[in-house]
Amino acid sequence: MQTQRIEYDDAIVRRFIFASILFGVVGLLVGVHIAAELAWWQLNFSSPYLTFSRLRPLHTNAVIFAFVGNMMFAGVYYSTQRLTRTRMASDLLSKLHFWGWQLIIVAAAVTLPLGITTSKEYAELEWPIDIMIALVWVVFAINFFWTLAKRNEKHLYVALWFYIATILTVAVLHIVNSFALPLSLFKSYSAFAGVQDALVQWWYGHNAVAFFLTTPILGIMYYFMPKAAERPVYSYRLSIVHFWALVFMYIWAGPHHLLYTALPDWAQSLGMVFSVMLWAPSWGGMLNGLLTLRGAWNKVREDPVLKFFVAGVTFYGMSTFEGPLLSIKSVSALAHYTDWIIGHVHGGALGWNGLMAAGMFYWLVPRMYGTQLHSKKAADAHFWIATIGIVLYMVSMWISGVNQGLMWQARGADGTLTYPSFVETLIAIRPMYIVRFIGGSLYFTGFLVMIWNLLKTIAGKQAVVASTEVVVEAPGTPDPEAGTLVDVITGRPMWFTVVAFAAATAFVFVSLVPAIILAVAVLVIGEAAFLVQKRERAAGKLSWFGIIERRPFAFTALVLISVLIGGVAELMPTIFIKQAVPATGSAQQPYTALELQGRDLYTREGCYVCHSQMIRPMIDEYQRYGEASRAEEFIYDHPFQWGSKRTGPDLHRIGGRYPNLWHYTHLMDPRATSPGSNMPSYGWLADDKIDQGLGAKKLDLMTSLGVPYTPEQIANAKADQQLQGEAVAKDLLAQGVTVAPDSEMVAMIAYLQRLGRDRGVPYGESAVKTSDAVVPAPAAPADVAAPATGGGR
Amino acid sequence: MSSDDKTLRKYDDILEEDNHMPRWWLVILFGSIVFGFGYWLAYHTTDTFPSPPEVYQADVAALKKQRATANPTSEEALTTLAASSEAIAEGQKVYAGTCAACHGANAEGLVGPNLTDKFWIHGASGTAILKAVAEGFPDKGMPAWGPVIGDTKARNVTAYVLSLKGKNLPGKEPQGDPVE
Repeated sequence: MQTQRIEYDDAIVRRFIFASILFGVVGLLVGVHIAAELAWWQLNFSSPYLTFSRLRPLHTNAVIFAFVGNMMFAGVYYSTQRLTRTRMASDLLSKLHFWGWQLIIVAAAVTLPLGITTSKEYAELEWPIDIMIALVWVVFAINFFWTLAKRNEKHLYVALWFYIATILTVAVLHIVNSFALPLSLFKSYSAFAGVQDALVQWWYGHNAVAFFLTTPILGIMYYFMPKAAERPVYSYRLSIVHFWALVFMYIWAGPHHLLYTALPDWAQSLGMVFSVMLWAPSWGGMLNGLLTLRGAWNKVREDPVLKFFVAGVTFYGMSTFEGPLLSIKSVSALAHYTDWIIGHVHGGALGWNGLMAAGMFYWLVPRMYGTQLHSKKAADAHFWIATIGIVLYMVSMWISGVNQGLMWQARGADGTLTYPSFVETLIAIRPMYIVRFIGGSLYFTGFLVMIWNLLKTIAGKQAVVASTEVVVEAPGTPDPEAGTLVDVITGRPMWFTVVAFAAATAFVFVSLVPAIILAVAVLVIGEAAFLVQKRERAAGKLSWFGIIERRPFAFTALVLISVLIGGVAELMPTIFIKQAVPATGSAQQPYTALELQGRDLYTREGCYVCHSQMIRPMIDEYQRYGEASRAEEFIYDHPFQWGSKRTGPDLHRIGGRYPNLWHYTHLMDPRATSPGSNMPSYGWLADDKIDQGLGAKKLDLMTSLGVPYTPEQIANAKADQQLQGEAVAKDLLAQGVTVAPDSEMVAMIAYLQRLGRDRGVPYGESAVKTSDAVVPAPAAPADVAAPATGGGR
Repeated sequence: MSSDDKTLRKYDDILEEDNHMPRWWLVILFGSIVFGFGYWLAYHTTDTFPSPPEVYQADVAALKKQRATANPTSEEALTTLAASSEAIAEGQKVYAGTCAACHGANAEGLVGPNLTDKFWIHGASGTAILKAVAEGFPDKGMPAWGPVIGDTKARNVTAYVLSLKGKNLPGKEPQGDPVE
């Protein structure tokens, strides 16, 4: 036997840590600023580039992909080398990964404030950047799997399982959700429309949280927490059960972002029950982390690293309890569109991601420079400042969210809304916006303390070159514990799962009695699997899990299948939704060229960040906004604009509710029409012009996406825009306001006036009856049923 | 819990044990799966409980019925109401929250017409004003406030508007026909 000295590549780890901290500052600072904007609307200083609706995507992207992304890569590169006892396969690929990722971040930081956006949350970056992300991710994947292939440690430790799941799933999510047709270098339209787009987006959006913010950090927890505590990891079998359950179930949970929307009810229910079932698998990770500290709790008092880890894991436990809770339909009815959701995600981002990152940095940085942390006291101070900051943030958002949700729903004895004016409910929560700003500022302050501490730690020190001694086996030496490929595909746990899943699938489609039999069968199969596994273990048999954990490629294939099942099961039926006949029988009219231009301004400005376009089937929303939105009303919406938060009211049926002058006045100075509003002025819309020449190109591209524009409409697009624009401008002029017919303002107003008026009657014709536009027509019950059955074309 | 507290494997000096999964955790795991099946049985396999769209339909129907059976309002009743300072005060509150944004804080007109002059587009009678408030003129930008504020508030705000007659505040230029 030969031994070999392996030198780890820690330079790449240091680079990623540096980038993570740098962009952490940016992400947090932007977050604090936009939090302040919600309390003090003047803080965009009348600049489009500093407006909340453009900076919010920058904040989320910076925190998720730049701060947590770089932190994750640092953790993955450090721990993977040690867990496989080999250097990363290629230093070149490592460098390409690092610099490519930073280039993407810079591109994001430039384009998002400019309003270059797809408007799909956490996937706002336009197509050229999307392609860069895909390429860099492939570089990362090759480097990682190549490293696994040349590993000197036979068995894959649980941390690596989570890294595998992360790399695979993020790739699948990113590619599918980014399907779009480019109009130009800076503008593309989602290939999906309306309900499909919403479902694909939230399948992505939810699993970006799952597989970018959760699974890699769980892997990092599995490596760094036992290291820092110097205690054994609690339970291998717990890690198996919670890993596979997470990987399989997470992907189904996306529709919980779309409860009470026009998404078919069955898909909503599926999203809800899988979210509830995710509670235990998530807590499995928390338990394995916390129980690793058995017998070491005294260390938590002494060691700031463990403090951060324990609090981070506890916040993970809180968030993953709150998540399933919020996924229950009746809870979502109250919480959706409110600040409760904002509080929930920050519990995860600040509590879980932020504290785990800090713990990892405090542990890692001194070690990589062969020294001690400069100041434990400062780290302790950071811990307490950050924790108080998070608590202020979460509590203020709970209060704000529940308060506003209840105000929206409140109805008097006579059945009328207690707070008919939306802005009343906004003014009520303003104090909470100030508290949130304070909480966020505290958290940011703590982060700065950490930076100072880490800089002091490494000041004047040289980075240590870490290495290890490994026994090199001759290539081709058989691994008796790895079994054979036949062992893999005949594995009993796998077949138990297949049978249980088949029974569960059949359960959905059958009537009561067979359904009960099948449900019981699934549980019996589950229990039987446990018993068989137990027996085999007692008998000392080679475990199937042990076999696949020594076969990275079989393992990867199984992860991929587990992930794809949920995705296919939920996304494929959306194709059937697409084929469904419009439930109301009336054809939808595509947007006019001017309305489409206005719609592009709506996405550019990020209106969807604060306004939904999805009226939920609830009596209070019916009274406040009009009849519930239906699936077929969105079939030409590339991309969908349902939004996920109502800092302002829903806009789906805003069209025709107010005169053009109202919209002009409101966009120029929101407080002139809605005293107390925190919406910034969008005055630049009145000065800037649209490019009418682009209209035909846009219609043409929409035709490729299946929107039925006629050749005449495309040919006349420019003249039509001018005509419709002049009508709006003339109306405004009659009331003393001069705007150009080709101004952005006019396009925006044309789009807003069109919203919700599409019932087979083109905007502008006076066929819109009083009773039709706001109060549902007598035929409403049939319309109202539509959210349940879907619709669309 | 730590009965089988023994090391299974070691990775980069991390020891891995294989302890029992906490029983209460397994209860949550299986319990939530049972809940999932039960939920589907209750809402989808059988229609034991109404789905959200069904609840919505029933609520809308109930609201419509409630509105349809509300007392019809006569011109006399509104005139009487317009003499009640209580109704006017209530109406003024509704006005400030709902109407002022378009018709001006003192009803002098802004985006919407001046309500204190003698010019009326849709009629100046109590019933005409109530109809305008409740059903609106959505194609002209006046929303139907009936479903939002309800009958009582709509009547009160009508009383308030009626009480403004003759104030002739300087504001928006006259619109509609003069009504003496």
